[in-house]
Amino acid sequence: MPRIVRDADVAWEGNLARGHGAMTAATSGAFIGLSYSLPTRIGDPEGKTSPEELLAAAHGGCFTMSLAGELTGAGTPPGRLDVHCRITMDEVEGRGHLIVHSALEVHASVPDLSEDAFAAAVEAAHSGCSFSTLLRDAGVSIDIQTTLES
Amino acid sequence: MATDRTAKVTWTGTLMDGAGRIEGVGSGAFGPLEVNWASRAESPEGRTSPEELVAAAWASCFSMALSHALAGAGTPAERLEASVTVTFQPGEGITKGAIVVVGTVPGVDHDGFVEQAEGAKVNCPVSKALTGIPEVTLDATLAN
Repeated sequence: MPRIVRDADVAWEGNLARGHGAMTAATSGAFIGLSYSLPTRIGDPEGKTSPEELLAAAHGGCFTMSLAGELTGAGTPPGRLDVHCRITMDEVEGRGHLIVHSALEVHASVPDLSEDAFAAAVEAAHSGCSFSTLLRDAGVSIDIQTTLES
Repeated sequence: MATDRTAKVTWTGTLMDGAGRIEGVGSGAFGPLEVNWASRAESPEGRTSPEELVAAAWASCFSMALSHALAGAGTPAERLEASVTVTFQPGEGITKGAIVVVGTVPGVDHDGFVEQAEGAKVNCPVSKALTGIPEVTLDATLAN
């Protein structure tokens, strides 16, 4: 399969404390000129996204597709998957700000699937999702809570 | 103080023929955004993907870190334009990240700018969460 390439563009003006930036999904155009700043990144978002929120969307999106793939491969494609991802950034002594945790809550509706088979698919999705792998490699703890509805 | 940011994603159907949506994010800044396998692995057709979202996360994190470093060195940036390209090889994972930054920064020379950009590449929180990517490149140039 060919390599897949995706681009994003960001423009930043000014200093860190009072400056602001705008980010654009350059390959797809799915979002254009989303603004962000330091105060809205670390405090009240005030309707503005942040690197960590985009990471939550990326990890949630990757895990969801990975789980859909595992369930499909096992002959039990999902009716519906609902996945909530929460990314936590914290200041770690001596290492500055780090992404420390990603929490995935998975609610799945899958016809004719046993709890054991579901648990196996979740485990395989966690191993297979490229973002789960990267976050794990970087020492980010990942917690997955699941509920299955047949 | 810890900062939490959230996103909600839904999926219906098989991987190849099904469809996903990034229903929304905690801030409400965007969504719903459609995602599917074809738009992730083939032509995007206006749809985003995990790789594009992480490219945006990375470019925005890098820009803030570089702005902070330049100000700390006494040469604050007027404007930084950063682009990140993320390469995904199905079956293998994320194989490459390429950061390109063009800065308008009074009072700094090329070498000084490159040095600060190299630091931001290593130190921004998103970079530190992506250290498993085998190849990360940086191309930093000054517009002034």
